Amino acid sequence: MNAKNSFSISEERRRILLVEDDYVNQEMLKATLGDVYDIVIAETGEEALEIIQNQHETLSIVLLDLNLPGIQGTDVLSRIKNAPQYSRLPVIVMTSDNEAEVECLKLGAIDFIPKPYPASKVILARILRTIELSEDRETLRLTERDQLTGLYNKEFFYHYAAQFDLYHKEAPTDAIVFDVNHFHTYNDRYGKASGDELLKKIANKALSYLNEVGGIVCRSVADTFMMYCIHTDNYEELLARLSACLDEDSISGNRVRLRMGVYVNADKNVDIERRFDRAKMAADTARDHLNAPIGFFDHSMREAEILEEQLIDGFHTALREKQFVVYYQLKFDVKQDVPVLSSAEALVRWKHPTLGLVSPGVFIPLFEKNGLIQELDNYVWSQVASQIKDWKENLNITLPVSVNVSRINLYDPKLTDKLLNITEMNGLTTKNLLLEITESAYTEKTDQIITTVKNLRKLGFYIEMDDFGCGYSSLSMLIDMPIDALKLDIQFIRSAFKEQKDTRLLEAMIGLAKSFEVPTIAEGVETAEQYAELKAMGCNIIQGYYFSRPLPKEEFEKLIINELKKEEHVC
Amino acid sequence: MLTVERLQEYGADTKTGLSRCAGNEALYLRLVGITIQELSSGALGEALEAGDLDKAYFIAHKLKGGVNNMALTPIADPLCELTELLRNKTPGDYNALYAKITAKTNELAAL
Repeated sequence: MNAKNSFSISEERRRILLVEDDYVNQEMLKATLGDVYDIVIAETGEEALEIIQNQHETLSIVLLDLNLPGIQGTDVLSRIKNAPQYSRLPVIVMTSDNEAEVECLKLGAIDFIPKPYPASKVILARILRTIELSEDRETLRLTERDQLTGLYNKEFFYHYAAQFDLYHKEAPTDAIVFDVNHFHTYNDRYGKASGDELLKKIANKALSYLNEVGGIVCRSVADTFMMYCIHTDNYEELLARLSACLDEDSISGNRVRLRMGVYVNADKNVDIERRFDRAKMAADTARDHLNAPIGFFDHSMREAEILEEQLIDGFHTALREKQFVVYYQLKFDVKQDVPVLSSAEALVRWKHPTLGLVSPGVFIPLFEKNGLIQELDNYVWSQVASQIKDWKENLNITLPVSVNVSRINLYDPKLTDKLLNITEMNGLTTKNLLLEITESAYTEKTDQIITTVKNLRKLGFYIEMDDFGCGYSSLSMLIDMPIDALKLDIQFIRSAFKEQKDTRLLEAMIGLAKSFEVPTIAEGVETAEQYAELKAMGCNIIQGYYFSRPLPKEEFEKLIINELKKEEHVC
Repeated sequence: MLTVERLQEYGADTKTGLSRCAGNEALYLRLVGITIQELSSGALGEALEAGDLDKAYFIAHKLKGGVNNMALTPIADPLCELTELLRNKTPGDYNALYAKITAKTNELAAL
């Protein structure tokens, strides 16, 4: 038995508007079509237009006689086709005048039926086919278009872009992506309706540009548009044209701005979607750059992207195969005349099977962006805890080691449990694992982070605020933040000791921390001069090449054994 | 009584006429009857007599539509000729053509 839908649009009887004043013709067409279609009859053009106005949504087709009393058939036709709300209605013209046929097709008639009529079955087949085609076209229109702006949607855009290539094989083309800077803020401030209006205006500006130069445009998502067009040399002018409507829209004087990414003379051998990935990559470089709102794709971006893909793809294998290796760098307490080994910092390196040793400067920001950092942090904590245990058992050395806790981990409700679990499993106390939390983490959802950090401190974990001074600092944070040490940002130290040395700010910072009774840690200390000055300023702990570079555990072990021997000797 | 056979003998292309009525004989005969009435109304003759060529053209054009669709060939030929003359307002013997149409209409009405 065939399954049958309870409702099928194909089984619905379609309605035909027959505009015909002659009774005989009406009756013939009724006999021809009446078994299949519902027929509404209008005997004059005026009557036809009124029916169309009121019932256009339920009409499938109009059969229009040209020779009507009152308004002529051609007038009726052009009125239908010039009204956007009805223009989708297919009109078949019925005429005995051969010359009128061409004119009617030009006016928008989809087909014509000659008079005298052809056989009933011919008329029936023609009408059936016309309705099918027109419904398919309407479905396609609804599917391929973004309902808000009327532009193509992304999928169809790619399809039409490929077609555009077929007809413009030799013409250089640009792949362009543009969006509204901070559009969500605009929506929040002025409401979604205003935001929608803004997008429609941008769409219209884009269409008007493309009508001149040739090309296609779509709204790919939210406020992002993609444009594939004949190459131009003047992107500033293009951006100005697209942005023209935004100036009118600056409701409160706050200018809304577009940013744009261009893949100039896009390589047509590259898959169309990749071409727009490249334009998007270029657009990302222009984010928040109000003075440079246009980014251009260059191949170094592509190389960087390939590297990123390679790193992301290899991440889980790397965890499984222990390709991430923990290096350790010593930290010395410099309060006394002779520096005393106080702790170490764990620093992760990636021994990649094909890329060699990958710097954390490359993969950490990437994993912070995509969230993989959470797993990496967890891995490093376990490795470090197990190493502390190993030193404790085999070397009889208890050396606290600081590990990074990334921002994403601070939002993990299981963070405390995870850390406790790791310390317990390795027979450590919470004092053995020092937690470095980057200063920038404190700038978001501060209350939640303060609570988490307070809990960790209650459990005995020692919290170091990392990268202090790197640009997010709010000095008032020092009052609210529950921290045990403040670690000055390495760049901050470097700039204090660069050629035109200026340590005033550094000194003030250390003084400030001291007044809050928070010890300071300086990293990246390379020279005896830096060491001496920081010590003189009152910095408590120093880490850097001056003492030792980060070392793999075997070398690090030798180093700490030596250091401890030296210290014993001093004692 | 009007039948398909008699119409055929009269000279109508009944096969074509019927094909336009979805093969429905009763409908075809009914519509031929209506066409005869319209032809017999005299409206075309009155317009010609009054010299109102625009009106005459409008009526002739309408009649031609019905006659052609019913495939009433004996009337269609002079009626098409007259309609074309009227369309272009070409001087000609309208009355002679109209007389032919009337004669053929009467012949048809007598079936």
